[in-house]
Amino acid sequence: MPGFFTVSRACLIVAALGGLIGSAAAADLKVALSTNLNTLDPATATFGEEYVYSGLVFSALMGTDADGKVYPDLAVSSQASADLKSWDFKLRPGVRFQHGKPLTSEDVVFTFRRILEPGTGSGARSDLGLVESVEAVDDMTVRFKLSVPYASFPELLTGRHMRILASDRADSIKTSPSGTGPFRFVKYTPGDSVELERNPDYYGADRIKLDKVVLRIIPEAASRVAALRAGDIDMIWNAPLETIPDLKRNPDVAVDARPSGTWDGFVLNNTKPPFNDVRVRRAVYLTLDKRALVQFALDGQGEPTHSPIAPTDPAFNKAIGFQPNIAEAKRLMAEAGHPNGFKLDITVPVGRPARERLGVVAQQLLRQIGIQVAVQRVPYNRYSTEIAGIAPMYVDGFFARTVIDAAVYPWFHSKGAWNGRMWRYSSPRMDAVLDEARRTPAVDKQRDLYRQYQQIMVDEVPGIIAYVSNVATAYRTSVKNYRTNPFLWLDLADVENVKAP
Amino acid sequence: MAGYLTRRLGQIVFTILAMSVVIFGITQVLPGNVAYVIAGQFATPDQIAAIETRLGLNDPMWQQFLRWAGAALQGDLGTSMVMSRPVGPLVAEALGRSAQLAGVSFLLVALIGVVVGVVSGVRAGGWFDRVALVVTWLSVAMPQFFIAIVLVLLFSGHLGWLPATGYTPISGGVLNWLSHLILPVATLVVGLFAHVASLQRASMIETLGASYVRAARAKGLSERKVITRHALRNALIPTVTVLTLDLGILMGGIVVVETVFSYPGLGRLMITAVEQKDLPVLQASVLTVTVIYAFANLIADLCYLALDPRLRTGHAGVR
Amino acid sequence: MLASAELRARPRLPLPLVIGSSLLLAILMASLAAPFITAFDFDAMDVTARMKAPDAVHLLGTDEFGRDVLSRTLHGASTSIGLGVAATAFAFAIGVPLGLLGGYMRGRLDDAIMRTVDILVSIPPVMLGLLILASTSPGVWKAALAVGIIYIPILIRLSRSVALSLAQEEFILAARTRGEGLGWILFREILPNALPPLVVETSLRISFAILLGAVFSFLGLGTQPPSSDWGLMIAEARPYLEQAPWIALAPGVALCVTVISINLVGEGLRQFLDVRSQPGA
Repeated sequence: MPGFFTVSRACLIVAALGGLIGSAAAADLKVALSTNLNTLDPATATFGEEYVYSGLVFSALMGTDADGKVYPDLAVSSQASADLKSWDFKLRPGVRFQHGKPLTSEDVVFTFRRILEPGTGSGARSDLGLVESVEAVDDMTVRFKLSVPYASFPELLTGRHMRILASDRADSIKTSPSGTGPFRFVKYTPGDSVELERNPDYYGADRIKLDKVVLRIIPEAASRVAALRAGDIDMIWNAPLETIPDLKRNPDVAVDARPSGTWDGFVLNNTKPPFNDVRVRRAVYLTLDKRALVQFALDGQGEPTHSPIAPTDPAFNKAIGFQPNIAEAKRLMAEAGHPNGFKLDITVPVGRPARERLGVVAQQLLRQIGIQVAVQRVPYNRYSTEIAGIAPMYVDGFFARTVIDAAVYPWFHSKGAWNGRMWRYSSPRMDAVLDEARRTPAVDKQRDLYRQYQQIMVDEVPGIIAYVSNVATAYRTSVKNYRTNPFLWLDLADVENVKAP
Repeated sequence: MAGYLTRRLGQIVFTILAMSVVIFGITQVLPGNVAYVIAGQFATPDQIAAIETRLGLNDPMWQQFLRWAGAALQGDLGTSMVMSRPVGPLVAEALGRSAQLAGVSFLLVALIGVVVGVVSGVRAGGWFDRVALVVTWLSVAMPQFFIAIVLVLLFSGHLGWLPATGYTPISGGVLNWLSHLILPVATLVVGLFAHVASLQRASMIETLGASYVRAARAKGLSERKVITRHALRNALIPTVTVLTLDLGILMGGIVVVETVFSYPGLGRLMITAVEQKDLPVLQASVLTVTVIYAFANLIADLCYLALDPRLRTGHAGVR
Repeated sequence: MLASAELRARPRLPLPLVIGSSLLLAILMASLAAPFITAFDFDAMDVTARMKAPDAVHLLGTDEFGRDVLSRTLHGASTSIGLGVAATAFAFAIGVPLGLLGGYMRGRLDDAIMRTVDILVSIPPVMLGLLILASTSPGVWKAALAVGIIYIPILIRLSRSVALSLAQEEFILAARTRGEGLGWILFREILPNALPPLVVETSLRISFAILLGAVFSFLGLGTQPPSSDWGLMIAEARPYLEQAPWIALAPGVALCVTVISINLVGEGLRQFLDVRSQPGA
């Protein structure tokens, strides 16, 4: 079979040469993402991969570093009025967009007005619901007027969608974006890659050591891991947690995993039977052993929690335990009129392995109190029309927010923008605590209120927040100075990629 | 013959029309709403309404379809609803990349399939035939995605010889281009060559038993000449027919292979479009595949006709 | 028509048939006897025994949930084989009557059937399944249905071609002069003669159907967890191939052996019933 041998020999030669080609350019970084980008417009981005791209090409007024600390980015200072309802931001001087236009307050006003316009379809519109107006005071000063006093407004402006756009490039945002970030946009090949190059005009350009960044789209987790091992890529952004033990065994690969506020949980529909009865919700809460969920769904890479407030947060309520109580759960089920349980569908999103596993484990655990669960896998982008706010119980999860208020208010306040599309939960007790916390500038008192909030979460159980997961980045050891950002954006300041010649 | 060809071509046009209506219908019943894909799960009703109006999603169905069809007939395939880019170049680029994958695979399937089939046919029952038999049986029994993952883990993850995923244009260096093609091509070839090989083997055995081959042998021609001059040419004909059909099957295999290898081709584009309910992209990509597949079928039928003249008067659909 | 005397006269069963059917029988028996072979439920989780390598307790190891891989593989046989059989049976039940009808009746009806078939075969199989499955929520029976629909045209063409060639045979003409009904002629006269090639084709289709079902599971459109369908098991085991290869290997080997034994049965039947292989079928 001569043909076959020729082919296999060619494989070897190509493979050897492929390795040489790969190591020729040293200051490049190839990062694997898992999903195709839908849009290049930061305001309408809806998922992590899009935020990674927009974070590299654009800058926001405020940023968050790897320790979760908020720092001024395009804004150099902020000044609030005494009633905390009017905020002035001074812009960094000398910043230019990648097409040459200097940054002025006009661009900031353009950006925020665009987000607030319903037709834009920006996910940040609900976060900015408290903004009444945004105006340019002078060329370098912007004023936000708020409808309520809000002490942590600058933190809110680190939001993923609030990247500053150029006011004179409104038409080309989606095709040839121009930002003020560390990298310039070069090319986007849908389904394959986004190519970026160093932006020499970036205000922090001296800290950017990489010449080129390629974001490679690789949906198969197993392929991503293999590509990293082969040196085909240098980094896996948001590495699947189940692959960490395996990756750690490889001497050429480093894994940086750290706790975050990214949470997964079970959304219960509070308006429909059986979960309109708080006893049934509590029974489910008492049955789902969160420590087991962390082991099964995350391979131990996370911590059980009561709400989106992570155990690492000073406001975390340590007084509440995680011990399941099956006997009590059974009693509650019987009291609620379900002594023999009932049948239930749990919906999980396709292609999000941790959340799929969460559903499968819940199916096992809930059997103990007689609930017969069928797991339904549904593609995530069907959630909005078929599942969210409709299904009795489904698995979902969200990235960390920089402010506790932004992480809980929209979800659990009866007027919260997202509550109405998820749990449909309404409780005067909850509303009072969340409103009070929002208005309270004193840190200690605010923390106390958030501890009360967590108690309500387990008393009234609008839904069950299972855990906060670690976020991990896996990279070749040639990559230096990289730190995983718990908010999952890719922070490449000071990062180098020194490959052996 | 001309009449037959006209009829088949008309049929293809009808198929394309029917498909475009079917795809349009499917996107209407497909769950999900493209406006939510664009604006995210938590868009407010007024945001959704604004996007729906912008995309004309509230117009009557027939109006939406005619708008699409009218533009398509003038060569304008529209704009991707989700990615806001023109569909024409999007599909053309993806098709170009898939064609490289399919083209190389097809050539190898033909080459390896025929060589293996001829050699095992000539020495039926010999050691090569037996090994080839076991290999073909195994390759048919393994799902393509499993072969693909094992190949990635072995050659890329474990040995580090080949890139695991992706695509490099040929302008980025022939070797680089080839190195990205090897694993996906190998997966497709392993999955398909067995079919060709076993057919070629059967047809080789049959031809070698035919009277004219025996006659050639009786003339005292060397075995090599008997095989290459007489048997091979006739034994190839049925294989050629099946190969054209395999081209269509290859298009299906590409969906799976492109997913595993993150190869930015037509299959990936199609899956994404289905998931996102991106009608213009779905229409263009599915119709492209339908056209290719229909023509592959037509060529297969024509080959078969040329092979078996008895069928020329009847229905060519007999297979 | 094959007379039963002729069958009895054959010296012995072809070897592939013997090997294939005994393998298949063994797999089915093992699947049925699963509760007696292993002590674990196929979906029972154990947080303390996750990804354990094969040992005396878990003969084939455990998966990422601590579930026994042997139990799951044995349990999965019924789902995977069931899906293949159900899909093929569905395709047979729809495709064969239509094919026989078209081939026997000819004319307009035949044209209508064949034009529909031409459209159906103009769509690549995986894509057809994708479109069918994407328009509904996923599930094992829907996957079986999709696979079945894909195979209908093939069975229509095959049964039609047989009916076409038999329609002018004397015993059919005789039956017609006897005044037999259409149903009688199709199913009592033509079908028995069409059976040998159909049986061979159908047995081969089952193995393709199992594989195609596995592909749909892989793409997330088929069976749902915690089912232990082999395709789904392999798909779910992808992240652990390096750490715990046994999770994917067991269903992979089971799938491979099953498909091969079904193919052997098909090949054996082909020899036994003396059906010539059909190019391109």
